[in-house]
Amino acid sequence: MTSESWLRAADLCRFYTRGPQTVHALAGVSLEVGRGEFLGIVGSSGSGKSTLLNLLAGLDTPTSGFVEFGARRLSGMSRKELSRYRAHQVGMVFQSFNLIAHYTALQNVETALVFNDVPPRNRRAVALEILGQLGLANRISHRPSDLSGGEQQRVAVARAIVKKPSILFADEPTGNLDYENSLQIAELLRQLNRGGLTIVMVTHNLEMAREYSHRIVRMQYGKIVGSEDGKSSGGTGS
Amino acid sequence: MTVRDFLSIPAGNLWRMKLRTILTVAGIIIAIAAFVSMVSFGTGTQENVDRQFNELGLLTTMQVFPQHRPNEPEFFDSPKLDLAALNRFERIPGVLLVYPYDPFVVHVRLGDTTLESRAQSLTHTAMETKLYSRLRAGKIFEHDSSRSAIISGELLKDARIIDANSLIGKKLIVSIQVSTIDSALRHLIVDKGQTIINRIEHIDLDSLLNSDGYLQQTLRTEANEAVRRFLNGFLNARRTVSDTLTICGVVESERMGRLRMEPVIIPFKTGERFTTSGFSGNPADLFTAMSSGNLFQSSDDRSGKSFSQVTINFDPHVLYAPIKDSIEAQGFRTFSFAAEFEQIQRAFLYLDLALGAVGLLALLTASLGIVNTMAMSLLERKREIGILKSLGADESEIRLLFLAESGAIGLIGSSFGILSGWIITRIVTIIAHIYMRQQGIPEVELFSLPVWLILTALVAGTGVAVMAGLYPASRAARIDPVEALRND
Repeated sequence: MTSESWLRAADLCRFYTRGPQTVHALAGVSLEVGRGEFLGIVGSSGSGKSTLLNLLAGLDTPTSGFVEFGARRLSGMSRKELSRYRAHQVGMVFQSFNLIAHYTALQNVETALVFNDVPPRNRRAVALEILGQLGLANRISHRPSDLSGGEQQRVAVARAIVKKPSILFADEPTGNLDYENSLQIAELLRQLNRGGLTIVMVTHNLEMAREYSHRIVRMQYGKIVGSEDGKSSGGTGS
Repeated sequence: MTVRDFLSIPAGNLWRMKLRTILTVAGIIIAIAAFVSMVSFGTGTQENVDRQFNELGLLTTMQVFPQHRPNEPEFFDSPKLDLAALNRFERIPGVLLVYPYDPFVVHVRLGDTTLESRAQSLTHTAMETKLYSRLRAGKIFEHDSSRSAIISGELLKDARIIDANSLIGKKLIVSIQVSTIDSALRHLIVDKGQTIINRIEHIDLDSLLNSDGYLQQTLRTEANEAVRRFLNGFLNARRTVSDTLTICGVVESERMGRLRMEPVIIPFKTGERFTTSGFSGNPADLFTAMSSGNLFQSSDDRSGKSFSQVTINFDPHVLYAPIKDSIEAQGFRTFSFAAEFEQIQRAFLYLDLALGAVGLLALLTASLGIVNTMAMSLLERKREIGILKSLGADESEIRLLFLAESGAIGLIGSSFGILSGWIITRIVTIIAHIYMRQQGIPEVELFSLPVWLILTALVAGTGVAVMAGLYPASRAARIDPVEALRND
């Protein structure tokens, strides 16, 4: 990993209004992610880790504070620019896979290239290559309902990395998987990180975060309450 | 996203929901088919009228009538539609041809068939106009003194003759019964052996001078007797004028509003024998002559003859309005087919608009189906839209995908709607043609499907569908991806 600050969140707040109540999902989170880093974000349900991930990925906008990617603030971007940020720089993997149910595995992966300016004639070859690398060459024409949970998540990872993003956001990527498949996916993420891909992974599994991340931040009640180095860094936590 | 993506992704979605797509498209098909068939009928009818006007040269034809109308008394000071008036009309700039319409009742004998019919005399130049030159068989007469005749399809029908060509060269005996003023005047002098002298001898001259009562009585009695003798001589001493002519052509019968073509057409000079021999049996002709001051005109003197109608042909490059104004300024009434054509065009415009409005109403109803389909699709694909947004789709791309989907429904529906509308018009045409053949009516094309109508239907169907998709597309574009991707 490198220690160069690359993705930065400063004093991020995200409040939701639910009827008469205001929910403080994030309450002043500051965070830096270095290029090539594998960052684990852990915390219990409702701690704000998914909200933080959505803000970093440009899917959501903060109530206050900002996210900076390289030299640009996401809050200064137009909607079109934010979409391009998601299309070109960001890959996302979700707990519930979020594959399009009526598309085949190949079509799901190809869809990521639709918004990535890859010419239609090249999409199939690129998608096939990625699926082959992830061991899904014999599953390309299967729909998500015909795939196991592990296979679905591998298709989701393929879809996330096929466009060669700068950073991969994984929101509880093993949350719906059994132990075996969880290990496979975590291992896959580690390999991708070793290949140079920056990864921010949200999980409630502290052990897994420790095992695979360079650094771990702990969240509680919308705030970062601590951080530590993971086993991959070889350092100690704080 | 490329254009191909905007076509293939919506196409895939529509294909996936086949039944719903088919039902929604069916609504558009029905609406567009109704729109196309109705407007096609209006257009077809209009084209028939246009064609008829052009084929008959009616746009450059005007008819002139005396100022008084048939059911109104003729005033002595109203100008006469006589030869002098015809000469004046000929001098109006742009007027190419002037000819009178002077019909008369005739008896015609064609082989063994004798019919009572009507005839008119026409110049060779008038026969060359579009109105009369549509011959079913033969040719027009060569000059105004030709001893030939042209008969119309109407006479053919009356005589129950099918083959028009078989009549060419056949003899046609034309005869009329005429009453003359000479005969009436003769009967005024001598009637039933009693002369006017015999009547005078019975009058007591002394009593006539001395008794007002006798004078009144005698004047009334003699006046009544004079009128009786005159009318007796006029109506009961008619003579027959007959001529044998050779049929040289058979012309299509044309009847269109004020346009009249008589079953027998005789060359102008040849026909003078019939038109100047005297009065027909119709007492109205007598009163017309009395009121116009022509009653005792010599039968050879045509200068005083007036006509009930005159036809004028004018240069197509000249506007009809100045000619019309010039004639009306001389105290005549005119009827311009060009003016009528303008009114007909306006009427057709209203008809097309009304028919189109009915079709569009059906289209609007069908568009509600599209709104429903797209709204359902939106609800079902909320998560999918969230996924696309997480992959980098922006709002305009999501909006366009939805609009492309509703537009595709409209385009497919419109295309099949146009095809269905055309099939409907073909079926109706086949049935109508069978009926027309059975009724002996010339077959006409009832419908017309011009390119502009196809394009209008295509644009209207697709346009309304896109409009119907605007609201669901806008809602789809505004979907919050975080909300859409939230784990339930």
